[in-house]
Amino acid sequence: MNPEPFLQLDRVIHEKGRLGILSMLAASPELSFTELRDVLAMTDGNLTTHIRTLQQAGYLSVTKSFQNNRPLTTCSLTPAGRKAFANYINLLEQIIRQTKPE
Amino acid sequence: MESNWAAEHLQVIRTLMERSALYRRALAPIMIFNGVVGLAAAALGWTLKFGSPRVFVLFWAGVSVVAIAGSFLLVRRQALKESEPFWSPPTRRVTQALLPALVAGLMISVVVLVGAGLAAGRHDTLTEVLWLPLIWVVLYGCAFHAAGFFMPRGMKIFGWAFILGGCGLFAVGVPAWASPLDYAHGIMGCFFGGLHLAYGVYLYFTEHRRNAT
Repeated sequence: MNPEPFLQLDRVIHEKGRLGILSMLAASPELSFTELRDVLAMTDGNLTTHIRTLQQAGYLSVTKSFQNNRPLTTCSLTPAGRKAFANYINLLEQIIRQTKPE
Repeated sequence: MESNWAAEHLQVIRTLMERSALYRRALAPIMIFNGVVGLAAAALGWTLKFGSPRVFVLFWAGVSVVAIAGSFLLVRRQALKESEPFWSPPTRRVTQALLPALVAGLMISVVVLVGAGLAAGRHDTLTEVLWLPLIWVVLYGCAFHAAGFFMPRGMKIFGWAFILGGCGLFAVGVPAWASPLDYAHGIMGCFFGGLHLAYGVYLYFTEHRRNAT
């Protein structure tokens, strides 16, 4: 079996929490911090840490604004994040194809 | 084993992507339209003073057809404007969530209609079918609460307002001072007219503000 696809998996995306964040943002133009936290059942601190890691990798952009006088944090995928996510999915599919019994 | 792991990962990704694809078409115009139709219909019903429950049921069935057709056209117009498919996955999920409660309301109405037809001419039947508008209100609330899982969070609260309001009025019963038919039109006007309009106006301003930010 060729181990190449497995070795190419992006370690930043591979973590369960970060993969969840990217999966949700891949299907929606932008999501608020609260929406991400509620669906992924994460704590504020945990989600903040993952968002920061993804931001540092250049996969996520964060916008801060106000709605009804309350701060609103929204996240969206950057083009690099979308590309990295698509690449990750392709690698998973390759792994499945390789290990599928004939 | 690695294949299982990768397949499970893909399944998690698919589930999360489906869950995050919320129905995000602007709901304010739809709510305002339905509110205006509901209020106008209640005022018309009040003025015309129907004498039978059968006409009452048929009148409001006609109003609901107008409301559904108008909502359909508004959703279609928005989809065309944004070059999106009308029957998108979020639209499909919202429709599937709405359907069971709405079909239940329709079936109950048909049964009442047939019963009212058989008992035509009896005045007491008017009081007997007064529970029907409240059943419609509660089922409508259940439908929107179910759809709220695929829509912005406020929709679940909107559903709860119908459910709690309908159940509360059930508990209170018809006040002695009210004419049964006027009371029934009043319930329809308040819930299907007033609540829709109020929520539509709220959405209009909040959606605008959100777009501006």
